[in-house]
Amino acid sequence: MPEPDGGELGPLSSSPTPPPSYPLRHSLRSPLSPRVSLCWCRGNSLRVSLFSQPASEVEFGGEVVELKLNDGGDGEISNAQWRRIAYGSVSPFAMLQSRRNSFSSLSKINSSPYHLEWWEYVMEYSKDINSLLGNPKSSKNSLIEDPKTFVQKSEEPTCLKAAWELMEMFYADKLSQPWLPERLVDWLADYDSLFARAYGTVYSKLLNFQNELINLQVIEDDPRYWEVIASALAVGWLEIVVKLLRLHGSYQLDQLSNRETENGLVEAVAVLISKMPRMRPELEPRRLGECYKAKPDFIKAWEKWRGQINKLDCSAFWIQCHHVQTREGLRNLLQIMLGNMSSLSAATSHWLELYISHFLYVRPFTAGLESMYSLAQRCIQLKPMSNSHKLMGVMIGILGENTEVVLAESSKEFGPWMAAHAIELLTAGSDEAEALLREERYSLGEISLEELHRLVYAQVLSSHALSWQIAPVYLSSCLKQGMGLLEILLYRQPVPHKELLLKNLEICRLYELDDISSNIMKMAGVHHWKHGRKGSGVYWLQQAQDEFRLNKIAQLLFGSVGKSISDESFKQWEGLIELLHSESKAAGGLEFLLKYRDFKRLLQQIGDGKNDVAAQQAVESLMLLMKNPSTPQRFWLPLLNDSLKLLNWQDRPLLNVSQTNLLLNKLQELSIARLRPHFVKPDFPMEALNSVRLSLATNLGRAILEE
Amino acid sequence: MEKSVLKLDKGTTCTAWNYCGQRLAAGSVDGTLSVFDSPDPASSSFSRSSSVKVREVGISKVVWVPPEYGDAVACIFEDGNFSIWEEVAEDSLSVQWKLCEFFKSSSSKVLDIQFGVSPTSLKMVAGYSDGSLKVFELTNPLELKNWQLQAEFQNVIDSVSTFGKASCLSASISWNPVRGEGQESSFVMGFNSDTPQLNSSKVWEFDEAHQRWLPVAELALTEDRGDRVYSVAWAPNIGRPWELIAVATEKGITIWHLNLSPDADGRLPVERVALHSGQEGEVWQMEWDMSGMTLATTGSDGAVKLWQSNLNGVWQGQATFLPTC
Amino acid sequence: MAVTQLPRPPEVYKLPQYKYVDAVRWLPPISALDRHAVLALFDSDGGSSTVEIHSLLNPNPDASSTAKSLTTLAAWTPPSRVSSLKTTNLGHRPFIAVSTVDGSVHVLAAQNAHSLVEMGAAPRVHAGPVSCIDLVEGGAECVSVGEDGRVNLVSLGDSGVSSFRFFDSNGLVSYSAARWASPNEFATGGLGFGLQWWDRRKPGGPVSQFKCNWTQGRASGIVHSIDIHPSRKHTCLAGGSSGTIFAWDLRWQQQPIILSGVVMGDGSKHSVSDSSEVWEVQYDRDVKSSNASNFSSSSRMLPVMMCSEDGILAVVEEDEEPVELLAEPCAINSFDIDKQNPSDVICSLEWESVAILTRP
Repeated sequence: MPEPDGGELGPLSSSPTPPPSYPLRHSLRSPLSPRVSLCWCRGNSLRVSLFSQPASEVEFGGEVVELKLNDGGDGEISNAQWRRIAYGSVSPFAMLQSRRNSFSSLSKINSSPYHLEWWEYVMEYSKDINSLLGNPKSSKNSLIEDPKTFVQKSEEPTCLKAAWELMEMFYADKLSQPWLPERLVDWLADYDSLFARAYGTVYSKLLNFQNELINLQVIEDDPRYWEVIASALAVGWLEIVVKLLRLHGSYQLDQLSNRETENGLVEAVAVLISKMPRMRPELEPRRLGECYKAKPDFIKAWEKWRGQINKLDCSAFWIQCHHVQTREGLRNLLQIMLGNMSSLSAATSHWLELYISHFLYVRPFTAGLESMYSLAQRCIQLKPMSNSHKLMGVMIGILGENTEVVLAESSKEFGPWMAAHAIELLTAGSDEAEALLREERYSLGEISLEELHRLVYAQVLSSHALSWQIAPVYLSSCLKQGMGLLEILLYRQPVPHKELLLKNLEICRLYELDDISSNIMKMAGVHHWKHGRKGSGVYWLQQAQDEFRLNKIAQLLFGSVGKSISDESFKQWEGLIELLHSESKAAGGLEFLLKYRDFKRLLQQIGDGKNDVAAQQAVESLMLLMKNPSTPQRFWLPLLNDSLKLLNWQDRPLLNVSQTNLLLNKLQELSIARLRPHFVKPDFPMEALNSVRLSLATNLGRAILEE
Repeated sequence: MEKSVLKLDKGTTCTAWNYCGQRLAAGSVDGTLSVFDSPDPASSSFSRSSSVKVREVGISKVVWVPPEYGDAVACIFEDGNFSIWEEVAEDSLSVQWKLCEFFKSSSSKVLDIQFGVSPTSLKMVAGYSDGSLKVFELTNPLELKNWQLQAEFQNVIDSVSTFGKASCLSASISWNPVRGEGQESSFVMGFNSDTPQLNSSKVWEFDEAHQRWLPVAELALTEDRGDRVYSVAWAPNIGRPWELIAVATEKGITIWHLNLSPDADGRLPVERVALHSGQEGEVWQMEWDMSGMTLATTGSDGAVKLWQSNLNGVWQGQATFLPTC
Repeated sequence: MAVTQLPRPPEVYKLPQYKYVDAVRWLPPISALDRHAVLALFDSDGGSSTVEIHSLLNPNPDASSTAKSLTTLAAWTPPSRVSSLKTTNLGHRPFIAVSTVDGSVHVLAAQNAHSLVEMGAAPRVHAGPVSCIDLVEGGAECVSVGEDGRVNLVSLGDSGVSSFRFFDSNGLVSYSAARWASPNEFATGGLGFGLQWWDRRKPGGPVSQFKCNWTQGRASGIVHSIDIHPSRKHTCLAGGSSGTIFAWDLRWQQQPIILSGVVMGDGSKHSVSDSSEVWEVQYDRDVKSSNASNFSSSSRMLPVMMCSEDGILAVVEEDEEPVELLAEPCAINSFDIDKQNPSDVICSLEWESVAILTRP
């Protein structure tokens, strides 16, 4: 499987031939049939059905195994942590996109200010994202009061955060460009422990030494003491160096008198170290060195400092120092500060450490990326890597100024989240990178690398039931293919669950996907209707304005209602009919039921046969029903039968001549229809027909007299 | 990271997941249809919710009906007949799987069935062992029992010639997955038969004006036209300027670009962009992922392979998975 | 969206859970000093659900920061995911009613903050998920409703939990919300902004029904939540689709009072959340925010708190601009106002976290 390297199966990885082979683990103990069945479910999870050989005597006939490709979880960061990062990235990402949109519309009017400020927005974004990736850096400064503790094993930093900060410092943070080497020194101080697992590093040396410190009586006699000091100095951890130096035995009160010179030399070196000039705007409190913002001042201070070291190196006091280890150890420190290649090489383990020491002591005036790459190659030659580290590809890509490599490596090592989000850093204010990453490529289906990485990330988000809802944010930033993928994503969400359905529809509304929305409602309507929830079914089909299906439902309902139209069980349909009220437009043939219900209510109101007004209303309602073409023919007779009370009204004939004639015509039509072959015979006794006919005739007579 | 999702019953021969991956239908050798469900959409544990003996004949393939038409499946049986079953609650009874329609084939066996959704109706294409195709249309969207035979034709470009005694071992059909308005229904289909003219994959499109199905493209080089086709798969298109169709033949897996704007004689221009003979033996199934960027294949070697296009548009194998205990 | 800001915003603490929060409620006090909340959590990696009592702590009581954290004290495992959760105080002991997507109802009791005991269960009283349950105030009786159209009464007696199917519409009507008005009366809500009033002494159907027809076919929706104020039992407050919050006064049957959402005729109304789902409504018991005497005598609506799919938690008052308490980039799925300390609100966010608000 693509474990442990998270994002191996990206579309960017150039594949070796033949492609890598992985085991697909299952728990079936029987021999398998070669027939395998595949299905892509939810984003990029692939479900594979494996079947046992038909003849085999086993408990199970097969197993379904789910393969998650491009799974975020890579051991360093758990799935739950990845989701938290994913949630947290949404707002910074969306904010940056909306800023870009307003920026590009601005730059159309006034093209110049674009590059002046854009990187500042990117920096804000980068800081927000960085804060999601872990706690603020572990400080290796002397905040720790215990004199015997100089490195603190704090929360393990992550490669992900280290890579993000690396890209931030090289691409987005334009302010730090002049003191890039010093930023690298700080970066290594924060993340040196990451390399400790695979290699011995300065950090691991220090940690080991600290653990043994309590067992040491005369610390300066131990060669390792001088070794770790040299190593810490080589990578610029000045606070640790000074702290360690002050553990030197000559500082002890009882020894001060007879080791005066020795102590003086130790202190002199310590002072020199703490006064090291540094090309950077500021240092955090309690950190050592003297800051210079302007290069000329820095050069001047550096030359002066170097002069002091040289002077000390040539000093006559060394002869008076009788402690060999101290003398040698201190002079080695001076050599490191003087940039002696062999001392630096001896003091460092990883090529990055050697690299950093070069910036500190060999080429302090390096600025920007000039010749950084060739230096890195030299360092790698001197200290070859036995196996590759997650961060190395990104690091070398950055130093080699190859944006495509950086993107490919960060995608390969850190997965789709990283690729989708780091592009913003890579393009910050660089026209070249922007052209490279935003150019539409025919081979990708006319989308850009940027869009491709966002699509891939969105697909990974879609793979999880909790994160699919944030995929639309990324898809909406993909101009060409984002909406296409979003439609498929929305269409594949399960409809039976009300909350999920509503969340799904809200996304449709937000992105104006009306077709998808009505399709989803249609699916929900049919599902509920078929699963015995007729009310929900009708509701969702109404929402979908699916008149075709509603008309079919109307036909089905007439069948059910028809059986019970004249009796009390009609009441159970009331709730459903209530639903139809609000959207009579979309009710289709169901409109009839609504009118029928109203008619029934009016009949009930008449009750004892005295309420003239209600009776007149009921007659009007009856006439409307009988005239309405959507009233099914088979309801005519039941309706008239229900209305006998109206036809035989005592006080006066309620129906006038023309109304009575219309009803008689309908009755006539019904009698003719009876003779046709396909007539559905209503569940009605013949007496009913006769009494209706009689009542109508009587009413007609009375009405004629009245007029 | 692989994870076991569920265990299948003894004798299971085929499975199919529904549109959202929340339900699995499994058919078995004794004619039992089992359905597995998960209790809620975020869970990936599944348990059997029903098990119905649909016939005394083994089920060889299960296909879900599109969700706009309810929770229903078509079962193809080993004797070449097929039927449609639906989950419904009737007259306030609890939910049950019921038979909607049984399709009896007289002389030829049905080999594959696929459903296509058009804005107005549901269409079903069935491929038969005599090399013919039947397109059925559902007349009432709420009842899966009323199917009307819309068309019957053979998988040949030249409609004049017919091949009476063709004998096909397998057929593969794949609808264009697009669901938008104003799109003509189309599908691709190929045969594995002893009649070369029937074999090659053809793209069929419904001509609304004349109410007939027309072959609009053939996905085979001239010299490969008689090659047996094992499987076809039409990729979802989220915005590419071309359609992507995978065709597995006896020569290997090929990937085709199909341009939807027809040329002068009404044919759709096609281009073969990849041929891979990576999969040993026959390829039995090919599935595109939701974006149409990754193709998963499996076949008689029992391995699962993934294929992707690199940045230069070159299709290549990305990974192979071999079932291991 | 016109929304006024509070003069002083509430203090907000967001606590990631790394699990989906299905429901959240304050727990009635167990002891005088501690504060507890009940969370229904779903672990999507393991596929398991739990109902947990969490204690709300200030990790650095001496420090100036009032940051809060939640610590799990007790947990109970339901058979499936939790769909609704309610708490009450019965004989100085907190009771919790839990309903599941499997259709069952469970009654739990908290002996103390460290023990959560199931007192009984009514398994599968609904076909499909239970949409909503409500516990009667100070009693051990629940009403449960579902999309299947059933209205069940589940009560805890000496011999455990018993259930009774009070009504069954056989799916012709679906219910999505329920709330007790008194020990004998309750209200339910459902599709098409419909509300039903029930009296357990009059079985066979709702005693009164309200069906909205003010939307004129434009935006019909679903009632997601109902609240009834103990001092005004004749008014049923409902929140639902399309940012709609309305109240139905039983004495004025036909015309609802609309607090938010759907535009009514010519008079435009304030809307807290345009067209989004209002997932929960509760009367705001924090009377500090407004003048209490305004409400006691007049017929004016009491202030209402709501949360929505578009991430708004706000207080809405009749004829006034809503006051926004929280605006999140993800949905706020539920909230609860602490009855003992009404300035405190706990809410569940879509992105696997809870937020606790303390209003000044």
